[in-house]
Amino acid sequence: MIGPYKMRLARAYIPFQRYGQVWSPAEGLRRGTIFPELFSPYIPRDKGSCGTCQ
Amino acid sequence: MQNEQMELMQRLRELEFAAVELNLFLDTHPENQEALRDFNRVACELAEVRQTYENKFGPTMNFGVSTSKGRWQWIDGPWPWQVGY
Amino acid sequence: MWIYEKKLQYPVRVCRPNPRLAKEIITQYGGPDGELSASLRYLTQRYTMPTGQAIATLTDIGTEELAHMEIVAALVYQLVKDAPLHEIKEAGLSSYYADHDRALYFVNASGVPWTAAYIQSKGDPIADLHENMAAEEKARATYEWLINLSDDPDVTDVLKFLRQREVVHFQRFGETLMRVQDYLQCKKVY
Repeated sequence: MIGPYKMRLARAYIPFQRYGQVWSPAEGLRRGTIFPELFSPYIPRDKGSCGTCQ
Repeated sequence: MQNEQMELMQRLRELEFAAVELNLFLDTHPENQEALRDFNRVACELAEVRQTYENKFGPTMNFGVSTSKGRWQWIDGPWPWQVGY
Repeated sequence: MWIYEKKLQYPVRVCRPNPRLAKEIITQYGGPDGELSASLRYLTQRYTMPTGQAIATLTDIGTEELAHMEIVAALVYQLVKDAPLHEIKEAGLSSYYADHDRALYFVNASGVPWTAAYIQSKGDPIADLHENMAAEEKARATYEWLINLSDDPDVTDVLKFLRQREVVHFQRFGETLMRVQDYLQCKKVY
């Protein structure tokens, strides 16, 4: 794990995924990933909507 | 496509998807033994399911990875974008 | 070398013909942030990556993007295949039809043909990996707009799968960037 005191300027940092629980192949295919921590569902919504009509 | 073919194909899809995910994970975590163990297990089961599928329904891959029996089955449909699968 | 598997990574079926939706979805086939752009970008950048790890990641993700290109093609193919000509005209696809009938061609949602200008292969691994991370975010966003546009639940299901893949790819490119940066940092010391 990189501590803040070791981070440099002018470069990007992405944390490494750690290996943990994985979904079954069937569940993984359904969701688009076998890794629960990478699952990031999208709720369809257009930004221009007034919020009441959807 | 009959039910049994669709079910076996779906099982193939599921296992291969898990293999792809583990493959990509291992590419950036090459020292991870747990992931490697899971990858090998999935790869094994994938090979078995592929063999079962191919024995009943013909080749899934070209260029010598799969074989054809009796006649050149590779040209057979359905192709993946046809008939919904 | 590439081997082909006669199987879609994710199954594709559509509720009914929908040329209007096909015209929008085709942007992920031949558009700037589509799967052809993604696959060619990664497959061409990989030759000059400095580590086996980076080459493997670019090769494997590039290959998966070809599989996604096939899925998008299947979506477009099924959405127009049985559409009557008047629906194709109403969808604003007359010009496309004149050149291609119902065939697949590499264009964006406005009919602009694909160009190599959509991709870069800078030869600088840091630049290339940042380009790739941006590409994955652009692809993810495009799938979100397409999900907003879709009125076919079977199509939406496929779009959601493809969108989730971009999230995973972003993470892998990020991890590759970390490893390559460390590697290049170590090399500088000597």
